[in-house]
Amino acid sequence: MSQTTQDSNEAIYRAFERLLEDEQLSPPLAAILALTELIVGSNAGTMFELVEALKAAAEVLKKRSSNPISLNAGCELFIAFVTLFPHESDSFAELKTELVQQGRRYAAEAISFRDKIAESTLGFIKDDSVILTHSYSRVVMKALLHAHKTKRISVYVTEARPRGLGLKTYEALTAVGIPCTVVLDSAVAYVMDRVDFVLVGSEAVVESGGLVNAVGSNQIAIIAKAANKPFYALAESYKFHRLFPLSQYDLPTHNPDILSLPSLPQRGSGTDSTPSSPALRATDGSPPSKTAVSSARLTMTAEQIARNPGVDYTRPDLISLVFSDVGVLTPEGVSQYLVGMFAG
Amino acid sequence: MAPELQTAGHRAVEVLAGKLRRRQVVGSREAALETVLVLRQVVSRARFSNINQLVGIIRDVGRRLSEAQPKEHTVGNIVRKVLHNIREEYNTATRGTAAAAAPVRNVYSISKFVLQGQPRKQHVAPRSEATASLKENDPNDPDSFARGIKPVLMEAIQDVLDELETVYDNVSKNAKDHIHSDEIILTIGHSKTVEAFLKAAAHNRNFTVIVAETGPSYSGHEMARALSAAGISTFLVPDSSIYAIMSRVNKVLLGAHAILANGGMFAICGSLLAATAARTHSTPVVVCAGQFKLTPLWNLYHDYGALDFADPSSVLGFEEGDLVDKVDVVNPYYDYVGPELVDVFITNDGDHPPSSVYRLIKESYDDEDHEF
Repeated sequence: MSQTTQDSNEAIYRAFERLLEDEQLSPPLAAILALTELIVGSNAGTMFELVEALKAAAEVLKKRSSNPISLNAGCELFIAFVTLFPHESDSFAELKTELVQQGRRYAAEAISFRDKIAESTLGFIKDDSVILTHSYSRVVMKALLHAHKTKRISVYVTEARPRGLGLKTYEALTAVGIPCTVVLDSAVAYVMDRVDFVLVGSEAVVESGGLVNAVGSNQIAIIAKAANKPFYALAESYKFHRLFPLSQYDLPTHNPDILSLPSLPQRGSGTDSTPSSPALRATDGSPPSKTAVSSARLTMTAEQIARNPGVDYTRPDLISLVFSDVGVLTPEGVSQYLVGMFAG
Repeated sequence: MAPELQTAGHRAVEVLAGKLRRRQVVGSREAALETVLVLRQVVSRARFSNINQLVGIIRDVGRRLSEAQPKEHTVGNIVRKVLHNIREEYNTATRGTAAAAAPVRNVYSISKFVLQGQPRKQHVAPRSEATASLKENDPNDPDSFARGIKPVLMEAIQDVLDELETVYDNVSKNAKDHIHSDEIILTIGHSKTVEAFLKAAAHNRNFTVIVAETGPSYSGHEMARALSAAGISTFLVPDSSIYAIMSRVNKVLLGAHAILANGGMFAICGSLLAATAARTHSTPVVVCAGQFKLTPLWNLYHDYGALDFADPSSVLGFEEGDLVDKVDVVNPYYDYVGPELVDVFITNDGDHPPSSVYRLIKESYDDEDHEF
C-alpha cells in the first residue's frame, strides 16, 4: 500500500511541476489542479479516505517546494471546500466527478481574478503617477498594463536580489512603453520621496491582515510608512491563508540555517582559512594583509545566499489596502473571509 | 429593458434631480429624506413583473440622482439601503415559495465558498400567508407579482424613513455616557447631529464647549448661539487657536458629511486641523454621524476634485480688485480626515471604531450596488 501511495505522491508532484510550467498558473492554482488530478486517479471509497489522500498529497507538495506558503493556502482552500461544503450527490463517484469539475472551474475562473483586481486598482492610479513595485508579480503586471492603456504611469522596480526578478518586470514594462527604472534594493529609501505609492503582489495574505511576499517587501513597507506613502497589496482570494505569524521567524519558511552565524575557529589557534572568507579576522591583532582584501569576492556565494530568507512578513498596520477579487479590503477585512471559510 | 417609469414617479425624480443640481437641497439628512420620499413614490407607482425589473428601475433612479449631485453621497447611500432592504424582503417572502419550484440542484462553487464562507442554516419566519403565493413573470396577470410584494416593500422603505427621522434621537441616546462632568469639549462647524448630542448630554451633565469659528462660512457662530441658548457654557474661538488650546481640551467632537469605506471621512473644512491637533495631544476624536452617511466608495479622497468648493469671494472679496487678478483663491468646503485620526464613530446604531466601518458597509449594502 505504501508503495502505491509513494507512486501516487510522485505522480502528484510531477503533475504539479507540469502545471507550474503554465505561466498563468500560480503555485496555489497549480496545487488545486494537482489535487483534482489526485481525485481523478483515486480509488477512495469514502470521504474520509479521500480527504486523507488529499492531505497526504498536500504534505508532499509542501515538503518538496522551496516556498510552500502560497501553495499551502491553495491546498487548504481546496481541502476545506471538499470537507466543509455540503454536497448533494447521489453517489461517491458522482461526488468525485463534481469535485474535480469544481476544482477545474475555479482554476479557470481564477485566471480572470487578475483582471478584476486590475480594474479596481485603476481607480487609485492617477495620471502621471510614479509607482514603486517589488520583484515580479503577475497580478501587478496586469494592473500596470491595464492602467497604461488609459493613464500615464512611470514605474520604479527593485532589483529583488537574489533572484533578480525585478529585471523581468523591467523588461516586460519597457516592452510596452512604460518608462521604467530598476533601483537597488538598498536605494528604496532614496527613491521613496519621488514615489506616489507602492504596489506589490503577494505570496499570501495572512489572517492578521499582514502580507507574505518576496523578501524586501517589509523593508519597502516600513519606508513607505515613514514617508507617508500608501502601500497597496494585490492578492487573489485564494492566497488568503490561515496563518498568524507573530514575527518574521514565525513563518513556516524560516529554518535554523537562515541568518545563522558560522562557528569560526578559536582565536590564537591558527590562521584563518581562505582570504575570501567574509569573516576574515586577524588572530594576532594585526591588520588583514593587503593581498587578502584585494582578492576578496564581491558577490555572494550560493552558500551565503542560502543563509538568507526568500520571503518576509509585512505587518498589517503598514499596509493601506489589499486589492482582491472579493473587493477592496482594509487589512482587517481579510480575516472576515478566512473566518467564514475555516472557522466552525 | 426595464419598463418605463410611470410619469408621476418620473416627474418626482426629475424635480429632485433639479433641486440637487441647483443645490436647493442643503444638508445630508435633508437630501436623504427627499430621496426616500421620491423612492417611495417610484416604488408605489412602479409596474414590474419580477424583482430584477424593480431593481433596475430603482438603480436607474439612483444613477440619475447621483449624477445630478455627485458630491452629495447620502443620495446614493439611501438608494443602496433601499435596494438592500428590498432584496432582503423579497428573499424572505419567496423562501416559502422557492421549495415549490422545480428541484434545482444547488451548484456550489469554490468562489462562492470563498465569498460566503460555510453555508449556515438561515432561520427565517415566513412573513404572512399572502406572500406565499408570489409568482414572478406570470403571463396571465403581469401585475400579480407587483401587487403581492408591494406592501412588504413599502414597509421596507418605511423602515429606512423611520431610521432617518429618528437619527438625532438615536445618536444622542447615550450622550451622557460619553461626556463626563466638567469636561471641556471642542467642536467645529454647525453639525445638527453634534448639536443634538450635546443638548442631550446637557440634561444630565455640566460641561463646557469650545466652538471654533470655522471660517470662512463662520457656521461656528450659529452653533455657539444654539448651544448657549440651551444653557450650555460655550466659548467661541478663532480657528487659529485650535492647536493652542488643545492641551486643555478633553475631547474633540466632530460631525461628518460622509464616512468612507476605509473608515476615513469627509467633514467640514477645519476638521483635519482639529483632528491632527488632537492626535498630537492624544485627545480622543469622536465623530457623531447617522449610518446613512456610510458610503461604500473608496478612492474619492485621491481626487482633488472630489472635494466640494464654495464661493471664493468669502475668502477674498471682489472689493480687493487688484489682488483678485493675481491670486488664485480656493475655498474647499470639506476636508478628508483619515481613519488613523478618528477614534470612534457614534452612530444611530451603536459606536464603532474606524476599522469596523467596512463591516457596517457590508451589512447595510449589497456589493452589486456600489456602482449604479
